[in-house]
Amino acid sequence: MNYQLSADQARLQQDVTAFCADVIASRAKKLEEGVPAERDALMRDSLKRLGKAGWLAAGYGEGGLDHVALYLVGEALARACPATFVSMRSSVHLCAGAIRLFGTPSQKDRYLKGLLGGDSVGALAYSEVQAGSDLGGITAAAQADGNTWLLGGTKDIVVNAPLADVFLVLAWHDRATGPDTGMSLFLVERSAQGPGIVGRVETMGLKGVPIASLSMDRCPSAGILGDNPGQGLSQIRRLMSLGSVGMAALGVGIGTACMEVSTAHAKARSAFGRKIGMYQDVGFKLADMFAYNDLGRMLALRAAWGFNTNDREADTLAACAKLFASEAATKIVNWGMQILAGHGYLAGSTMERLYRDAKFGEICEGTSEMLRQEIARRELDRFEGV
Amino acid sequence: MDFSLTREQELFRDTVYRYGRDEVAPLCEEADLRGEFSFEIWNRLASFGILGLPFPEDLGGSGADIVTCCLAGEALGHAGVDGGSLLAWGAHTYLCAHNIYAFGTEEQKRKYVPKLASGEWIGCMGLTEPGSGSDAASMRATAVKKADAYVLNGTKTFITNAPVSDVFVVFANVDRSRKHEGITAFIVEKGTPGLSTSTPFHKMGCKCSATSEVIMEDCEVPADNVLGGEGKGWIIALSGVEWDRCTLLSPMLGAALFNLDACARYANERHQFGRPIRSFQAIQHRIADMKVFIEAARLAIYRVASAKDRGQMLNPLQAAVSKVYAGDRGFEMASEAVQVFGGYGFMHEYPVERNFRDSKLAAIGGGTSDIMRMIVSRIMMM
Repeated sequence: MNYQLSADQARLQQDVTAFCADVIASRAKKLEEGVPAERDALMRDSLKRLGKAGWLAAGYGEGGLDHVALYLVGEALARACPATFVSMRSSVHLCAGAIRLFGTPSQKDRYLKGLLGGDSVGALAYSEVQAGSDLGGITAAAQADGNTWLLGGTKDIVVNAPLADVFLVLAWHDRATGPDTGMSLFLVERSAQGPGIVGRVETMGLKGVPIASLSMDRCPSAGILGDNPGQGLSQIRRLMSLGSVGMAALGVGIGTACMEVSTAHAKARSAFGRKIGMYQDVGFKLADMFAYNDLGRMLALRAAWGFNTNDREADTLAACAKLFASEAATKIVNWGMQILAGHGYLAGSTMERLYRDAKFGEICEGTSEMLRQEIARRELDRFEGV
Repeated sequence: MDFSLTREQELFRDTVYRYGRDEVAPLCEEADLRGEFSFEIWNRLASFGILGLPFPEDLGGSGADIVTCCLAGEALGHAGVDGGSLLAWGAHTYLCAHNIYAFGTEEQKRKYVPKLASGEWIGCMGLTEPGSGSDAASMRATAVKKADAYVLNGTKTFITNAPVSDVFVVFANVDRSRKHEGITAFIVEKGTPGLSTSTPFHKMGCKCSATSEVIMEDCEVPADNVLGGEGKGWIIALSGVEWDRCTLLSPMLGAALFNLDACARYANERHQFGRPIRSFQAIQHRIADMKVFIEAARLAIYRVASAKDRGQMLNPLQAAVSKVYAGDRGFEMASEAVQVFGGYGFMHEYPVERNFRDSKLAAIGGGTSDIMRMIVSRIMMM
């Protein structure tokens, strides 16, 4: 047992943290301002710069995905700019990740270089207005048309939709056999035939993340991911489980950024003759922030290491990490807001932005409630009929 | 980075778990009700070699690493052994015997460690006083040099195992003007004139550990019984913190595992409104929270243990996180376990009731949660 990062891992963490502080952090505020086209251009440029520096490809080695490396890069990016992390994650962890895990050699050749180099942007479109955690309720469907598939239907709240060059779209190819075998992930390239990018939405936090719906009417597909129909739902489940570590990275990154702002304020501001951090009302909040953030990071690294080593507990640990770290983040920003008080409540302040950004984690890709059900079911099943 | 246990560590944990479940846990309910130290439980822990785990074989121990010591604590808690008996073990092995092993002369080690490792002698450590807890440097107990001896005066309180101890490691100041630099540790044997213990306290939980005051009235101790040298007591007292943040917390992690198993089993068996209560989301959410707590607490506790095994200096932030999380969140989770059992959880016959009472100690003993937050916040404010 050894909790320490290896020398290579520690160097990666140090270098990517420095890069993100240098290049990305200053863009966090700009991503909240201006018209969508300006924000999207800035986001695309950030992804390109991350790609050129090699950070998007970190973890994509010869031997399969290195989830510890993905986590370390993710936390550093989320700390510098949560919105950029969320956009990067949809493109790299989810879209490129799925292609890496499930794609055919020619699909990997066609898409991975661009996505991991930052030249193209990817998106994953699975939920719909009426179906989120219960994906059996989706209605998007594909029809065979000669050698190809044509997609119809709409996808709701698709991260990166306004930017993306390539989409993975979950749709029925055979509704009659039911969700476990009747759904596939379809590769879709942006073209004149679709998908239509409609209904761009603005969000409470993570305002720099471009989000819109997909509208598909006889939209041509570039093929089924992996060429083997019927794997869609299990592929999404696998991606969501692996992706829980990334959601934990978002929480820990936000928590770390909030802790920095809060600690700096607690040191700089004095009241009644003492630095406010020396009062227990403030200092103990800093301590709780540290504890929750530290434990969230440990859970995420433990889960990531579990995925790297095919630990059979890894799925449960990843769910625990996502649940813990995203709830820790909302606790931490709440404490941070109390510490910065009026200064934190000002529009345009870092604290105010983090406060809005943090909530995403408890909602996206399985609400905390759904995760608790999933974690509990595994524990309860150990004693079923015993 | 490597979170795995060795095959030997896993086997050992599983063996200890089975022994605890079959041979020790059945005694705990009645012993806890009596509220007294149980020699029967003690002897069963001793006969399995638990009491001497970290000591070398030539001193009667098993040469176990710290992670293995934590696994034993976790396994016994998981098996349903009460927190009091495991606290008695922790105070004996890590705070008394290990201090003699780590800081004692060859003669002191040979005299005390084997008999403590076998359980023939019981040990305790006296640091806390009625007027000083976490602020230990302000202790009032004094030691005055007189020829080849020291004369000790003072009162120690909340001393685990004191009423049943044969060997006392106590701290006193040889020169209070030197503050913590005057603090010195002494080995005092039962029966030394001037050494006495008060009537045991009645505690809220951990009832099978006997706790009392240690009173020293002109208690004359040979100079050979100084542990670690004059003025070295502060370093010895601080070293106890490292054990407190891993091995002494591991039984609390074990108790949480016991509670999770008990609740998950009960939620499958118990039916209300025509369905097992496991189908109610309020029950599911408690089960999930217990699981998350266990995984986070496990990481925090074993991080301290494995760093110690690797010879790294104690990281005060990591140690404090381990203590504050296992203590505060552990108590909340123990309360939720009682809630899952409803009225039955309020009854002594259900071990979740005992674990609830026992779990409160982790937020108090060895530095309260407030002290942990003070440590972390002061470091952050540097």
